[in-house]
Amino acid sequence: MLAAVDPAAALVGLAPGMSVADARARVPELRLVDADPAGDAKALADFADWCSRFSPWTSVDGPDGIWLDVTGCVPLVESEQALAQDLVARAARLNFAARAAVADTPGAAWAVARYDDLPASSIRVLAPGEARKALAPLPVAGLRLSPEITQDLRRLGLKRIGDLYGMARAPLTPRFGEAVARRLDQALGLVEEPISPRQPIMPRLVRRILAEPISTADAIEHGLVQLMALLCRQLEEEGLGARHLELACFRIDARVERIGVGTSRPSHQPDHLARLLTEKIGEIAPGFGIEVMQLRVLAVEPMAPRQLGLDAKADGGAVAPLVDRLANRLGARNVLRLIPENSHLPERAARAVSVLDDRHRDKRPQDWPVARPRPIRLLAHPDPIEVMAPVPDDPPLMFRWRRIPHRVRRAEGPERIALEWWREPEAGTDGIRDYYRVEDEAGRRFWLYRRGLYRPETAPAWFLHGFFA
Amino acid sequence: MSDYAELTVTTNFSFLEGASHPAEMARQAAFYGHRAIAITDRNTLGGVVRAWVESKGSGMRCIIGCRLDFRNRPSVVCLPTDKAAYHRLSRLLTIGKRRAPKGECWLDAADLSAHAEGQVLIVLPPDDADPIFEKQLRKDGQAFAGNCYLAGQHRYRGDDAERLAWLAAIAERAGTPLVATNDVLYHVPERRVLQDVLACVRLKCTIEQAGRRLEAHAERHLKPGVEMARLFRLYPDALARTIEIAERCRFNMDDLKYEYPDEEGLEGRTVAEELVFRVEQGVRDRYPEGVPDMVRKQVDHELALVAELKYEPYFLTVHDIVRFARTREPPILCQGRGSAANSALCYCLTITEINPAEGNTLFERFLSRDRNEPPDIDVDFEHERREEVIQHIYDHYTRERAGLAATVICYRMRAALRDVGKVMGLSADAVAALNGTIWGWSQDGLPEARVRELGLDPGDKRLALTLMLAQELTGFPRHLSQHVGGFVITRGPLGDLVPISNAAMKDRTVIEWDKDDLDALRILKIDVLALGMLTCVRKAFDLIEQHHGGRHTMASIPQGVKGVYDMICAADTIGVFQIESRAQMSMLPRLKPRKYYDLVIEVAIVRPGPIQGDMVHPYLRRRDDKEKVTYPSEALRQVLEKTLGVPLFQEQAMRIAMVAAGFTAGEADELRRAMATFKQTGTIGNFRDRMIEGMVARKYDRDFAERCFKQIEGFGNYGFPESHAASFALLVYVSSWLKWRHPEVFACALLNSQPMGFYAPAQIVRDARDHQVEVREIDVNDSDWDCTLEAGGAVKPLRLGFRLIKGMAEDEAQKVIAARAHGAFNTPEELARRTGLNARSLECLAKADAFRSMAGMDRRAALWAIKGIETNRLPLFAALDGPIAQEVSVALPPMKLGEHVVADYAATSLSLKRHPVAFLRDSLTARGILKTEALGQTRDGRRVMVAGLVLVRQRPGTANGTIFLTIEDETGVANIIIWKDRFEKYRRIVMGGSLVAVQGRLQREGIVLHLVAEHLIDLSAELGDLDWDRKLDVPYARADEVLRPGEDQRDLKIRSRDFH
Repeated sequence: MLAAVDPAAALVGLAPGMSVADARARVPELRLVDADPAGDAKALADFADWCSRFSPWTSVDGPDGIWLDVTGCVPLVESEQALAQDLVARAARLNFAARAAVADTPGAAWAVARYDDLPASSIRVLAPGEARKALAPLPVAGLRLSPEITQDLRRLGLKRIGDLYGMARAPLTPRFGEAVARRLDQALGLVEEPISPRQPIMPRLVRRILAEPISTADAIEHGLVQLMALLCRQLEEEGLGARHLELACFRIDARVERIGVGTSRPSHQPDHLARLLTEKIGEIAPGFGIEVMQLRVLAVEPMAPRQLGLDAKADGGAVAPLVDRLANRLGARNVLRLIPENSHLPERAARAVSVLDDRHRDKRPQDWPVARPRPIRLLAHPDPIEVMAPVPDDPPLMFRWRRIPHRVRRAEGPERIALEWWREPEAGTDGIRDYYRVEDEAGRRFWLYRRGLYRPETAPAWFLHGFFA
Repeated sequence: MSDYAELTVTTNFSFLEGASHPAEMARQAAFYGHRAIAITDRNTLGGVVRAWVESKGSGMRCIIGCRLDFRNRPSVVCLPTDKAAYHRLSRLLTIGKRRAPKGECWLDAADLSAHAEGQVLIVLPPDDADPIFEKQLRKDGQAFAGNCYLAGQHRYRGDDAERLAWLAAIAERAGTPLVATNDVLYHVPERRVLQDVLACVRLKCTIEQAGRRLEAHAERHLKPGVEMARLFRLYPDALARTIEIAERCRFNMDDLKYEYPDEEGLEGRTVAEELVFRVEQGVRDRYPEGVPDMVRKQVDHELALVAELKYEPYFLTVHDIVRFARTREPPILCQGRGSAANSALCYCLTITEINPAEGNTLFERFLSRDRNEPPDIDVDFEHERREEVIQHIYDHYTRERAGLAATVICYRMRAALRDVGKVMGLSADAVAALNGTIWGWSQDGLPEARVRELGLDPGDKRLALTLMLAQELTGFPRHLSQHVGGFVITRGPLGDLVPISNAAMKDRTVIEWDKDDLDALRILKIDVLALGMLTCVRKAFDLIEQHHGGRHTMASIPQGVKGVYDMICAADTIGVFQIESRAQMSMLPRLKPRKYYDLVIEVAIVRPGPIQGDMVHPYLRRRDDKEKVTYPSEALRQVLEKTLGVPLFQEQAMRIAMVAAGFTAGEADELRRAMATFKQTGTIGNFRDRMIEGMVARKYDRDFAERCFKQIEGFGNYGFPESHAASFALLVYVSSWLKWRHPEVFACALLNSQPMGFYAPAQIVRDARDHQVEVREIDVNDSDWDCTLEAGGAVKPLRLGFRLIKGMAEDEAQKVIAARAHGAFNTPEELARRTGLNARSLECLAKADAFRSMAGMDRRAALWAIKGIETNRLPLFAALDGPIAQEVSVALPPMKLGEHVVADYAATSLSLKRHPVAFLRDSLTARGILKTEALGQTRDGRRVMVAGLVLVRQRPGTANGTIFLTIEDETGVANIIIWKDRFEKYRRIVMGGSLVAVQGRLQREGIVLHLVAEHLIDLSAELGDLDWDRKLDVPYARADEVLRPGEDQRDLKIRSRDFH
């Protein structure tokens, strides 16, 4: 079903609520994008936050509206007109086709913004007392009533808000409850209606204004440790751990020096986090001195309060700080770990990623293939070898690797692994490899494979792909 | 060559697992020279018949078996050694399926023990050594001593030597000898790709995500014996045991003797005597003045034939079911059809109403010993009451002895593309684009040009692979569903013959085989089908009795009435059975039916078969004496004489294959079967060459041969045999007579049988008014639930019923009718009080404007009054008769007529007040738009413009992308033809417009008028002028393919399924 349409689609007669099949039948070239109500809601909430530059009192209204209480905000700008225009223009730059209305009451503004046939990115400001006249020609849907009531009113011929002005109130209530009268009174300003603002988010930030400018590494470290203690207490209370931290040092010459670190798992241990940052203090140029230090968390994750294990080793906690220090010192891209990938092909069964890379945290140890033995070391590029083996697919008796012959004492195989047909196939492979685990007379174990099935007319190609020990 | 039999084969009847059809498996195994192949799908025997049919004559035996999966023990392959064991296996599966929901089978170890006698069991081991499994195996070795084996497979996983050694060791210890298998999933290694895709569909993931959940390689295909011998060279005994087991499993499908149920109440007569007894009784009833010689001879001939083929119980059962329906109170109308139904026997048994005395040629096709066909009788019942018949069959024969046949729901191109596309990671967008713009390309796949048109690159490997795989997947069984009404009834327990499972529908049980399987096994089925027109006819008979007097039956309708045929020739057939569609209606004036047999042809000719075979025009030319009637050969004269040398019926196509192409009866039968299923198996191609070359070799024109074959292909889609057309033609005549003689009765019965047929109530009502029927509005003081006829002149006025109101519940409407018995209602409040209707129903009545009898109160005033009733306060005032309370009177804005019409359409999908287009007439006239009635006076080829509401949009698969559009204004309808290029240009208007203006050239063919569209204008927005904030709810006809694509396809499918 279509959740929303853009102006071009609306122009050719598509509308929300239409089935996809129906819409496609009419406009085969239609481009579809999956609806993302959660994403939309978040974007709207962010936008509402952003709007707080115009008024401290903003709130989200339904799936597509934002309330701004601009009472008393106007002295800051030239006029309501200018404020609304500025808002809509800025929204347009953010790719929102917004319509704005300013009125005495939330209800009137709501009705005008939605039902007054405003073109996209335009505004209308109702002068004080103009609401009654402005609302009269608008459909009753502009009263924020349930769809059922709206429809009933229309059936009764009460189609425009103005149709209700002359109605006696008494007969309306038994028929529609008090909603119709209340919404009408709210829109016309006969009844108060407050707008609830969005809750401000507490910033996870601590800052310290220094009594006098500092410039030594020791002094910075000292300040850092104090800030860190403060910040970590706050994180711990919220049950959160930092994944990404930034220390900003404001210099007296109005420049800012920043250093940042990441962690491999959320942490609120002040010592550990402070140590990571301390290692980078050398990067800070203090100039003529630093007057303000500010420590800010850029990314957090929930951390279940953990009971310390009796066996400290089981905790794994000891490795994390080391990993963090290595990664922050050598660069996150230079400290890697292997993660399992779901593939039969040996070279695709594992992948190296940065230890700080978060995207693979759902991998579990059981994701490693355990059914078949795999070499401890896998060659990135299999080495061609010469092999003597009974046809068609018995294990090799002897092979020559880098000109050194190895007589096979024990062998197992073949393990047949098909290439992934949905990728580009390798030429001349039959789409398979036959792998053999072999042990030579010196007890060394190798992993060999023959590319493709044995064919009498061609010499088979053999490779060494890894070592077991 | 090493002797080998593959004993573990999973076909695509293990849905989303096996990747080859059973027939492909059998063919490949035979090709490798296997001694036998055992079909062992997971907890089902669904695919065995197909494999068995394929293996016949190949020299390789097909072992019937099953892989049993349990809830509490390892799986085993179960192979019955004899017939008794087969019955036990079937019973075991029936038990498991009946205790589980649809599509599942719940089996426990205890069930196996109880049914293990006579079975060879092959236990399937886990991948890795497992002491628990070994313990279980030892238990099995003791419990099933001598009959239990352990499956050994060479898995190519590296440690096979070790694993086989372990298996051999535990097999030795447990006394369950090792047997070689390859645990086959596909017949050739190339199918591994499709198997991976199926696995992904099952796992609901893309091919990239599936990873190690897929098989590591393509080794699970059928392998030649030599290769199996090499893989098992250390275990030659395991290989030899495959032959040993194959030799032990002597059960053959041919041994399944299907036994028809004994009829009860024979009073000591044998079934043969009983049939003769009943037929003779029927002869006396049918011909009280004495039976004509011709009929006597025919009856005797048929009785002898039935006796020879031992089909007496079948006829008795059909008779019993029909008799049951006829003796209900009130009786259920029913009618038989099919080759065996068009017989003197069935006429005498009152299964059909086609009188053999009236001398037509239908009866020569009864049964025949050479044609080797099972008797075919379908019985249609009133659609609203068929369930009574079905439940009677379950009651009478019990669920142990009666079950519905299955329908194997196969992947069609669309679904295949959707599933494969998802697996291959194509965007939903791309898949929708591939699927969405194409109507009916399911057989040929997607031409490259089309792909390019969609902005996709046909050279893209992914896309090409997706299309190729989707094509391959097309025809794969996806799940089993129930046949529309085909019952299998047996003497012994049906579950011993074939596993029975629960259907999705409550109170239904379904067997695992479909009609082709049953056909192959020569198991008889009786089709108990639903037909809306029978409901309508019965209701019409009731109305005639009530308002005009006299009780009619199908047989008592006067035949050959000229007025009826005049009406049919004028294509005045809205609502008439079968010949009401636009295609049929435009054929009628050309075909000019004048007698019953003409109707038979009319029904059969407007079908994909004759159309694809290009047989329609030659027939029409010959009928109009514009072309000489010739026969391709003297031999074919017999076959084609009654259709003027042009093959029109499915039977004729079969006869041509035999007479002209030298097919044997058996081959013709195979061809018939291939026709029915060719989409799935693709085997019809073999017949093509044989038939065409066969005909050419016998000196027939190649062109004619090719057209004959094309037609056969068309029949494969929607075949229409003469034997069915004959019964349908009778209903065509009866419904035409009703419409002609009593138009108000017909319209009333039709409205009361909705939903059915081609048209929406709006069109039926309009047609009735065109036939001088006075139609009265729904009113709380006059209407019943159903539409009714009121007292009046020769043509009674038709009062619309509450059933037309959207959202109105029948039990609520009945309250109105019951309360009205004590006097009319004077105010809405009074009605509410006396009926106790809920607020929703009251509003429905108000919206439908059903309060006019209260001093002309309109819907708005009624709604205001109803809204003011506080239903919870009612009991307090129950004793009061006056208004509940005085309240301020309110002046609501008056409603314009246009608003009323829009509201009428919204509430009942029709308006008696005025046609919506009439409101716009002045502005239309100003633009030079004509009324549709003016087309009648327009010269052929002139360019004109008309406008109307869109009723039906159709794009027949046979018409090459042409759209047929029907529009309606206040004076009538206009038929529009939109060629493909015009459609592409005006697609949005055609698909989305509710009021359109069409400019085009008029095309006249006799009295048939078409407007060939050149330009279209969307006027839908102007309907908004009727009511500025509501849209007109246009009642598209039921046959509209845009709004109801699913429904229509389903109808088509049901129809096509019934006529093989």
